[in-house]
Amino acid sequence: MDHMHHITNSRMDKLYNTHVKLLAFDFLNLKPNHAHPSSFSRQGTRLSRAEALGVVVWRELKPNKFLKFSIDDGTGCIPCLLWLNHLDSHYFSRRHPSDVRLIAELTKNFTSEIQLGGVARVRGKITGYRGALQITVSDVVIERDPNMEVFHWLDCVRLARLCYDTVKDVKPDNSTTHVPF
Amino acid sequence: MSTSVIGHGELVILEELNPSSPHFKQGASLRVTGKLQEYTVESAIAVIVDGSATLRIDTQLMRLNLRIGSIYQFIGELVIEPSSEATLKARVGRNVDGMDLNLYHQSILLLRKFQAEQTSSGVA
Repeated sequence: MDHMHHITNSRMDKLYNTHVKLLAFDFLNLKPNHAHPSSFSRQGTRLSRAEALGVVVWRELKPNKFLKFSIDDGTGCIPCLLWLNHLDSHYFSRRHPSDVRLIAELTKNFTSEIQLGGVARVRGKITGYRGALQITVSDVVIERDPNMEVFHWLDCVRLARLCYDTVKDVKPDNSTTHVPF
Repeated sequence: MSTSVIGHGELVILEELNPSSPHFKQGASLRVTGKLQEYTVESAIAVIVDGSATLRIDTQLMRLNLRIGSIYQFIGELVIEPSSEATLKARVGRNVDGMDLNLYHQSILLLRKFQAEQTSSGVA
């Protein structure tokens, strides 16, 4: 029984350090995990990082502090936070100064690229702020191919059906339920 | 302005947008895509077309160079006149020349089916 419990737990954690591609409606329905504040749950599967893609529909810049913006993928709006205080933050004080300067320069470039109407692919940690979910962004790619958003939708649907949803469908005999695309 | 007040633009195919559509509501946030057929600089009103359907787009809030014949995507809120004529008051727009519209339409249908499945299974 303990062995079974261990297998089930490891399956539930198998996506924990992965940037999981999620549609906004799916992302916005993640549940906070009170036992592990840095993790969130999608039908019992623990997640900590996400990748999302959408049209930038809102942005608020506090120079040298943060850029807040929202991306709309047609199923919901995901709030995103990009910290811009790397050179002042204690969080980075243990990192090598040249690395911190490089990260600061990179995020400065992201800030100028993230403009209303552009399509941004973001990766980062799933975090909660005042009861709402957001992505604390570590990486941004501005997509210029007009078909890229459709490819992202299809990726999210395929991954949910063939990967994410099979984690929750673990049965006591250790078989999984697979849903065809 | 708070992010929480921004609703997402529901994905709509222009030919679906008629008075009997559930999306045809005053103030509905929509995302529409079509080829630019007309544009009047003075009023900032554009008309896009997709198949046999057209929609007026109010582009006053945007800075976008519009070119007749190019494909654009707009996100905004629907304004319905008493005559049932609808205009989308766009807040965001982009040129999507090169978009495979057939794939786009099919993918919207697949996405809706997926969302319905996930909602009924309790994910969302």
